[in-house]
Amino acid sequence: MTSQRTHPAHPLLELRNLSISFRDRRQIAVDRVSFSVLKGQTLGLVGASGAGKSSVARAILRLVQADGGEILFKGEDIHRMKSQQLMAARQRIQIVFQEPSRSLSPKRTVAESLLEPLQHFAIGSPTERSRKVKKILLTVGLDHDVLHHYPHQFSTGQKQRIAIARALVTKPDLVIADEAVSSLDVSVQAQILQLIQTLQAEYGIAFLFISHDLAVIRQIADGVAVMYRGQLLEQAPADTFFSQPAHPYSRLLLSLASLDEPSPVLNHQQQLNPDGITNHRPSACVYSAGCAEVMPVCGQSEPARIEIKYKNQNMRGSHCVRCHLYDETNINET
Amino acid sequence: MNTAVLEVRDLNLSIDSSNGPHQLLDGVSFSINAGETTGLVGESGCGKSMTALAILGVLPATGMTIRSAGIMLNGEDLTALNHAQRRRVLGQDISMVFQQPATALDPVFTLGQQIAATVHRHGISGRKACRQTMLESLELVGFSQPEKIAAAYPHELSGGMRQLSMIAMATVCKPAVLIADEPTTALDVSTQLMILQQLKRLQTEYKTAILLISHDLNIIRQCCHTVLVMYCGRLLESTDPESLFSHPRHPYSAGLLGCIPKLSATRPPPINAIAGQVPALTDLPPGCHFAPRCDRAIAQCRHTAPEPESDNGRTVACFRPMP
Amino acid sequence: MESVWQRLRSDGYGMLGFYIIAVFALAALLVWSGLLGQSWAVVSGGRWESISSTHWFGTNLLGQDILQRTLFSSATAFEVGLSVTILSTLLGTVLGALAGWFRSSWLDELILWVKGVLDSIPFYLFAAAIAFALQGNRWAMHLAMVITFWTTTARIIRGEVIRLKQREFVEAARAIGLPPRTIIFRHVLPNTSHIVLVQATIVFVAAIKTEVILSFLGLGIQNGVSWGLMLAESSQEVLAGHFGNFAAASIALFLLLVGFNLLADSLQDAMDKRRSVS
Repeated sequence: MTSQRTHPAHPLLELRNLSISFRDRRQIAVDRVSFSVLKGQTLGLVGASGAGKSSVARAILRLVQADGGEILFKGEDIHRMKSQQLMAARQRIQIVFQEPSRSLSPKRTVAESLLEPLQHFAIGSPTERSRKVKKILLTVGLDHDVLHHYPHQFSTGQKQRIAIARALVTKPDLVIADEAVSSLDVSVQAQILQLIQTLQAEYGIAFLFISHDLAVIRQIADGVAVMYRGQLLEQAPADTFFSQPAHPYSRLLLSLASLDEPSPVLNHQQQLNPDGITNHRPSACVYSAGCAEVMPVCGQSEPARIEIKYKNQNMRGSHCVRCHLYDETNINET
Repeated sequence: MNTAVLEVRDLNLSIDSSNGPHQLLDGVSFSINAGETTGLVGESGCGKSMTALAILGVLPATGMTIRSAGIMLNGEDLTALNHAQRRRVLGQDISMVFQQPATALDPVFTLGQQIAATVHRHGISGRKACRQTMLESLELVGFSQPEKIAAAYPHELSGGMRQLSMIAMATVCKPAVLIADEPTTALDVSTQLMILQQLKRLQTEYKTAILLISHDLNIIRQCCHTVLVMYCGRLLESTDPESLFSHPRHPYSAGLLGCIPKLSATRPPPINAIAGQVPALTDLPPGCHFAPRCDRAIAQCRHTAPEPESDNGRTVACFRPMP
Repeated sequence: MESVWQRLRSDGYGMLGFYIIAVFALAALLVWSGLLGQSWAVVSGGRWESISSTHWFGTNLLGQDILQRTLFSSATAFEVGLSVTILSTLLGTVLGALAGWFRSSWLDELILWVKGVLDSIPFYLFAAAIAFALQGNRWAMHLAMVITFWTTTARIIRGEVIRLKQREFVEAARAIGLPPRTIIFRHVLPNTSHIVLVQATIVFVAAIKTEVILSFLGLGIQNGVSWGLMLAESSQEVLAGHFGNFAAASIALFLLLVGFNLLADSLQDAMDKRRSVS
């Protein structure tokens, strides 16, 4: 098990004003995003495609460079780590991708794929490694007679189980699931969700669970963060978020996903422009163009990050929002 | 008085292989009324898309054979048509929208050219008339500036806009039946909703019958008048969505419903997945195909396939349906 | 799951090509092991003898046996084909992979620049320059071909590597901090093997054809015989009505090239099917 214990007050992963841009800074993909993931907890990161969720995930893994801000893992900035520290951190952070068929190397057997991280981090002796691989396969619900099979011999759901096994084999503290159940059938999705919940209860792994599906997030997350065009609009504990969403965009997403309410009629501006990141004016709220509750001030200045205070503050975690509807003096009655 | 626009009678599809023919579709029968939507649900690899392709008579692989007691479109049997007649019907009386608008559109032509080509092929001559019809179809699916969309190439549009253009192309000839195969699967929630709203609008305007194929039960619930639940090429249950969602009778339907994550104010209990996976079509279990994964299965289920039984407008093929 | 080889076996034309190549390869092997075609330089008969039981294809101007010379030439063709193919494919794969992986870096720019320069030099001029510079070294022709033939392979591999680098399994390998060298050789290049193989057969054919043309021009084989040299000899004989050299060399070359084209085509088909399934 983990030898390093994080101080309970420190989050396992903390992002502070993370910014990422592409094409020589002409296209801002992530704009001053801050959130934190607590040990053993699941944070659901929600947003439309192109909102910058995957860029955040890739920056945490150092697959893309950050332009500014910090990514603190157990209090250390991932982008400033020395190679040995980084190696240790990489062993503790793993990822599961959306497309199971693309996330395993077609020319390598299950055993080769699963042994690779263990060999790379020099974990255990060769016999211990193969024992670990067999054990993890059982944990994700596969027999160890599949060890010498190639990815194309498996169904989509089985491939995703193998990808999860590869992520878990180094006993990580944090697993990033980037739309890990989005391309799956409902039945397979349910199986994988079930598996993730069991694993989390058993091993106490924290998840950064990226999804555009709020119902999936509700099922699995302890906290929710909402992104829109590179910015984080709201972060709240799951129960608070699903009962009292603060940001108009969060409310829209919730009403879209809920079955019981009649679907709202949307205008074109609200939907058909989810990926136009480039034309963002820094002096306005990013959501002002699509917002149903837009005010004159929204077009003139960018809202600051506000923490919503509650009268009976017994909820875990804070509720932060970036919206001009709220200011520091707001106290929610409930 | 409802009239069935499309009636599929005992549709069978088999494929030859080295160890004998495999049944891809087995006795599929249903009908769709004008202006109504029928949803077809099931896991991947259960034959949903095959059903669509078999209705259109376009088979993706060689060695496939269709047998049926008739596929009636407005009283005309599609299976009796010859090649030329079928080509006239496809796109004009019955058309299809695919899951991947990015690959279903030709990247070297503008959308206007592609839609106009469809219009032209189905009997409207004259450049001006063609263009007029084309622009109208784009306007109908909700584009406020159809000229701009018509002049665009597929790669210049977002996924949602491409899918809307696909729908414009499929509905430009005002078909009686529209088959939509996972039309919103690759899209964002808000875009999904927009596409479905446009489909609904077209439907009320032209009384189009829609066969909506989806694995997303929420979408089926919102849009359909009838739901068909398919598993391994057989229809296991057909009913209206409300009774399906409140009282599923087939254990498979119940299992599928249990898989949907619920959006509630309090945290839902852990999800209940159906164990196991869809068997390969080359290796179907005898009797009821669902029996090996079913917790209500009895000995009889493992050797005899239950016949569909109708009761009160609801058809279930199960020996031990849910109470 | 069928392997590529199983698919190939069910393709009649592909197998025909394979057998034609096998016959030539066998001849080349026998020549190399000293069992066949060793008396290609021996004057064993009169000048321009016609077909007989001792000289199956007749003799040339000097009275050398044309069959012996044809057989020896197939060894020459394979020697050039194999060495050029192996070296240029290795070079092209490695440089293409580096350029693709470090896309837009100075390394990519450099490799693309060298490739652009080499592609813009007229090939036969280049071959002549190398032959002149190396003063009749027998590897001059091989060198000229290796230097110019790697560029196509490199371009194809570069594109494929750029595509594969976006793949999630490569990202997963990068996420655990594997060094680029390991990722390229373990995760990226094995997934380009189907393209490398097809491209190698194309290079092989090009090398054999080029060898014949260079030898015909006097820039190729020096100490030995090749179909190109035989064709060069025949240019005077044909006018005198002797077709032995011409027929033997051109038919042999034609058969071998047909064999390779048939094999390359069906190889590509077999690989394509495999790719579409996986």
